[in-house]
Amino acid sequence: METMLEISNLEHSYGGVPVLRDVSFSIGAGQVVALAGENGAGKSTLFKIITGQVSPSGGSIRVEGNLVERIDTRRARELGIGIVPQELAPYPDLTVYENLFVGREIRTPLGTLNRAKMISQSNEMLGVFGLEIDPRRKMRDLTTALTQIVDIIKATTWGAKLILLDEPTSSIPEQEVQRLYEVIHMLRSKGVSMMYTTHRMTEIQDIGDRVIVLRDGVLVQDTPVKDSSPEQIISSMIGRDLEDLFPALDAPEDGIGISVQGLRLIEDGPEINFAVKKGEILGLGGLVGAGRTEVLEAIYGTRAIRSGDVVLNGTSLKLGSPRRSIDAGLALVPEDRKGAGLVLLRSILDNGSLPRLKKHLLAGFIRPLSRSKDVRTAMEKVALKFNTLDQSAESLSGGNQQKIVIGRWLGNETKVLLLDEPTRGVDVGARGEIYKIIRDLAASGLSVVLVSSDTPELIGLSHRVLVIRGGAITGELSRGELDSDEVQEKIFRLASDQALLEV
Amino acid sequence: MSTSKEAAKANVFRRLTDFDQTKVVNILIRNSLLIVLLLVMVYFATQNDRFISIGNLRAVLIAAAPFALIALGQTIVILTGGIDLSVGSLIALGAMVSAYLALRLPAEQIWVAILAAIAIGIIAGVINGIVVAYLNVPPFVATLGMLTAASGLAYAIGGGAPINGLPENFGVLANTKLFGFQLPVYIMIISFIVLGLVMKYSAFGLRVYAVGGNRTAAEVAGVNAKRTLIQVYTLSGFLAATSGVVLASRVISGPPNLGQGYELLAIAAVVIGGASLMGGRGTVWGTLLGLLIIQTLKNGLDILIVPSYWQNVIIGVVIVSAVAVDVWASRRQSR
Repeated sequence: METMLEISNLEHSYGGVPVLRDVSFSIGAGQVVALAGENGAGKSTLFKIITGQVSPSGGSIRVEGNLVERIDTRRARELGIGIVPQELAPYPDLTVYENLFVGREIRTPLGTLNRAKMISQSNEMLGVFGLEIDPRRKMRDLTTALTQIVDIIKATTWGAKLILLDEPTSSIPEQEVQRLYEVIHMLRSKGVSMMYTTHRMTEIQDIGDRVIVLRDGVLVQDTPVKDSSPEQIISSMIGRDLEDLFPALDAPEDGIGISVQGLRLIEDGPEINFAVKKGEILGLGGLVGAGRTEVLEAIYGTRAIRSGDVVLNGTSLKLGSPRRSIDAGLALVPEDRKGAGLVLLRSILDNGSLPRLKKHLLAGFIRPLSRSKDVRTAMEKVALKFNTLDQSAESLSGGNQQKIVIGRWLGNETKVLLLDEPTRGVDVGARGEIYKIIRDLAASGLSVVLVSSDTPELIGLSHRVLVIRGGAITGELSRGELDSDEVQEKIFRLASDQALLEV
Repeated sequence: MSTSKEAAKANVFRRLTDFDQTKVVNILIRNSLLIVLLLVMVYFATQNDRFISIGNLRAVLIAAAPFALIALGQTIVILTGGIDLSVGSLIALGAMVSAYLALRLPAEQIWVAILAAIAIGIIAGVINGIVVAYLNVPPFVATLGMLTAASGLAYAIGGGAPINGLPENFGVLANTKLFGFQLPVYIMIISFIVLGLVMKYSAFGLRVYAVGGNRTAAEVAGVNAKRTLIQVYTLSGFLAATSGVVLASRVISGPPNLGQGYELLAIAAVVIGGASLMGGRGTVWGTLLGLLIIQTLKNGLDILIVPSYWQNVIIGVVIVSAVAVDVWASRRQSR
C-alpha cells in the first residue's frame, strides 16, 4: 500500500512544556486511523501540525514520500490535507451549494455566478454519497450530522487525499452516526485516507483500520483495530487498568436537604415535586429537551418560573437570583462549560473564587493570601493539574476546566449541588475522578441533583433516579431498581412516549 | 571525533543563543508599547532641545490630564465589552453646568457649581447604564443617543453661545500649582493609581473583567451583571464631567463645543493600550501608555511645527499599527 502521510520523530512544546514527544507513525492510502487519547494528550496539537496551523519544534513530515519542509495551512491544502473541525463553521444563511462552492465558485463568461451549474454539480456530489437533499436549502436547516457530511464532501471536492476528522460524532445523535459511517466507507474505497479522534470506543471498532493512542504526548500504541479491545484502548489511554468507574455510594442521611414544591416552568404546565435528602444523589433522567436543565435553572434562579417553592433547610428560597441562591447554599455546575461555566480569559484563581468572593474581601479589595489559600486547597482536592493559579482557564483541558467549575463550590457554605451533564466532553480518566469528587461531596452531607444524558452515569452514580418527560416527572427508580438488568430499557420507556402505552 | 565534538559545541552554542533570542524577543514584545513610547521620545529629543525640559513635561501632562480621565472611564467600559461615545459631550455638559452656576453663585460657593456639574455627569452615566443593562440597547447606540442629547443640552445652557465673564477663582482648580505642576496633573496621577489598583485587586475589578469576558458565566457565578454595567457607565460619566470642569476651569469659560471628538481619542488610547473591544482584555497600565504615546506625539510634532492636519495623519497611522502589532504579538505568543 502506498504511504500517504509519514510522521517521524515529531516534537512540539508550548512555552517549554512538551506536548508531543518523539511521535512517529504513517498512514497508508485509503486507511482509516483512529486517534485516541485523553484530553490534553496532544491530539489537537498533532492535527494542528498536520494541517499547518502550528509549526512543530522538531521532526519531519512526509506526504506521499516527499519531505515537506515548511507546512502552513495553504501548503497543507495543496498537498491534499483537509480537516473537518469539531466546531463546524459553515455559513448558515447560505445554501448548501453555496457552502460547497464558496471560494471556488463557477462563473459564467460574464463573470457572474453560474448558479445552475453549481446546483447541478452539487446534486451530483451529494448523490454520490447517497444524500437526497436539495442543494438550494439553507445550511441552517440541516441537522448537525448532515452539516458535517457536507463539510466532508466539500473537502473531497477540492481533492483532499487525507481528511482529519475531529470528534465527528460528538454532537450528532446515534441514528445519524450510521450515515457518517457510510460516507467514511465510501471515501475509503476511493483511496482517501482519514484520521479521526473520538471518545467513543465502539466507533473505533466500527470504522477504524488502525488505532493510535497518545498519552501525555507520547505514542503508546499503534495496532490494527482487530487486535485491540475497548478496555485495552482505555487502559493504554489512561496508563492503568480501568477500575470500577463508579465509586460505591454511602447511604444518605435522614434529613431533607432541599425540597421542590409545585414548581411550574410555564403557565398551566405540569407541577414538579421532589425532595433530596442530605447526602443523597438524585439523578434526573430523560431525553434531551425534556426539561431537566430548565428545572435546575429554575431552582438556581437563572430562569424565571410561573409558580412554586424551593425549601432549603426548612426555609423557603426566594427564587430568581443566582446571588441569593448561592448565599443560601446552592451551587450550579452548568451544562455549557465554556458558555456558562467559566470566564476563559481569567485565571484559575479568579474563576475559582468568583462565586464566593465576599469572604475574601476587605473594604472591597480582595485579600490575596486568604483567596489563594482557599482556591489552592479546593483545586488540590479536585486533583486539578495546573502550573500556577494565575494560569488562564483557557489553557486547561476540558476535564480540568470542569474540575474548576466543580471545585469552586467546595466548602461548608454549599448545601445543595446542582450538576448539569458534569462529564460532557470530559475524558475517561478525569471522568472517574469527577465521579469520586461528587460521591465524596454527597458523603459529606450535601444534597446532589444530577442531570445526565449518559445513562450508565445516571445509573452508576445516583441513589435514586427521576425520569422527566415534557417537563413532568414520569417515573421514579429506587437504588434496587437501578441495579436490575432492564433498568436502561425502563428509563428509556419512561423518557419516551412508549411509557404511556404501558400504563 | 574532533569534528563531532565541535559540532556538538556549535550546537550547544546555537541553542543558547536561540534561547536567549526568543527570550529577548518575548520581553521586547511584552513591552512593545513602552519601547514605542521611548523611541518617540528619543526621536523628538534628538530633533529639538526644547523637548526634554521641565516646561515641556508640564505642558504634556497638563494637556493629557482631562483626556486621561475620560480614557480611564472608557477603559473600564470597554473591559465590559461596551463603549461610551457620550464622554466628549459630557465634558461639554459638565463645563457648561459649572460655568452657568459659577456665574450666578457667590464666589465662595464655586464648589457648589463644581459638584453640580459632576452630579450631572453621574446622572447621565446612570442613564447610560440603565439603558444598556435593563433595556438591552447596544452600548454604541445608547451612548450615541446620550452624545447627541448631552451636546444639545450643553448648547441650550449657554443659549447657543459660550459662557464668558466668569469670576477669577473659577480657574483655581486647574491653574493652582503644587510643586511646579497644576492640580489636574495630580488628579490624573491619583486617578490612574486608584483605578489601576481597583481594577487589579478589588472585587469590582474582577466583576468587570468577568462580565466582559463572559457575561453568562459571571451571572451563573452570582455576579450581578446589570449592576456592574450601571456602575461602569456611572464611573465613566463621573470622570467625563470632572474632566469637563477641569477643562472649563483652565480656560475660565464655558464653550459648548468643549471636548468634541475626545471620545474617539480616548477610545484610541485604550485600544493602543491593548484592550479588546470584545471585552475582558485590557489594563489601566496599557491605557496610560496609549495615552502617553498619543500626547507625546502631539507635543513633539507641535514643537517641530508640524501642522495639525499632518499630526492627525500620523496619529491615525499609529493607532492602526499599534493594534496590528498587538494582534500579531498575541498570535505569536499563542503558538
